[in-house]
Amino acid sequence: MARVKRGLMRQKRHRKVIARAKGYFQRKKNVFKNAHEQVMKSGQYAFRDRRQRKRDFRQLWVVRISAACRENGIKYSQLIDGMTKKGLQVNRKMLSELAIHDPKAFSALVKQSVG
Amino acid sequence: MNRTYTAKPSTIERKWHVVDATGVPIGRLAAAVAQVLRGKHKPTFTYNMDCGDFVIVVNADKAVWTGNNKPDELLYWHTGWPGGLRNISRGDMLETKPEKLIEKVVWGMLPKTKLGKATFKKLKVYSGSDHPHAAQNPVAMEVK
Repeated sequence: MARVKRGLMRQKRHRKVIARAKGYFQRKKNVFKNAHEQVMKSGQYAFRDRRQRKRDFRQLWVVRISAACRENGIKYSQLIDGMTKKGLQVNRKMLSELAIHDPKAFSALVKQSVG
Repeated sequence: MNRTYTAKPSTIERKWHVVDATGVPIGRLAAAVAQVLRGKHKPTFTYNMDCGDFVIVVNADKAVWTGNNKPDELLYWHTGWPGGLRNISRGDMLETKPEKLIEKVVWGMLPKTKLGKATFKKLKVYSGSDHPHAAQNPVAMEVK
């Protein structure tokens, strides 16, 4: 049987990991051992953060809506409460975008829901 | 998420506010000032951007400690020399270094990051009613 040497396959395997570690800090970008550790960890972070992204953005919208509400003299909770009672269905993303690009429409919405 | 607005350095507008600290409780003053410095009062607030306004605090020496804010509680620091532990009470600091005190309290309410430091630099505190920023046309701000 022909003799099998392992160097080539190992090199190929390593190259794949190093390629995914591009732009990392210090040894993590060119030493296989460190690169591999970081690539594994990065994958975990990416998985977690794809889920957390939804929460992070909702949080941001709430902060922005809150600021816009205060400009209109009410609190965030009062707006949401008013909207629920009047049956107005505008999601937080659109509320925050309204507050930025069309403040008049936002004020009108505030008036309609509270008042 | 897809098309949520993000503030860019070119789109951030900065105003100047001036707060009169006369008779205002220090904690309430600092909370209001910190919010404005961070920009959380704007609908365009973005976490990773310094989108806040400038704030000038005047009459810092006339701010007050109220209620449970023990004015005789001590603040400590170390000079680095042997036996160099020094202290000053909050009440004494308000009398001797009112500007430093207000800055310290506001800094305590800001994020301890590079962005936080940049945010902090927009705060200007003066004891007495004068300030050198008249050219920036500061608008008076109320502390509720």
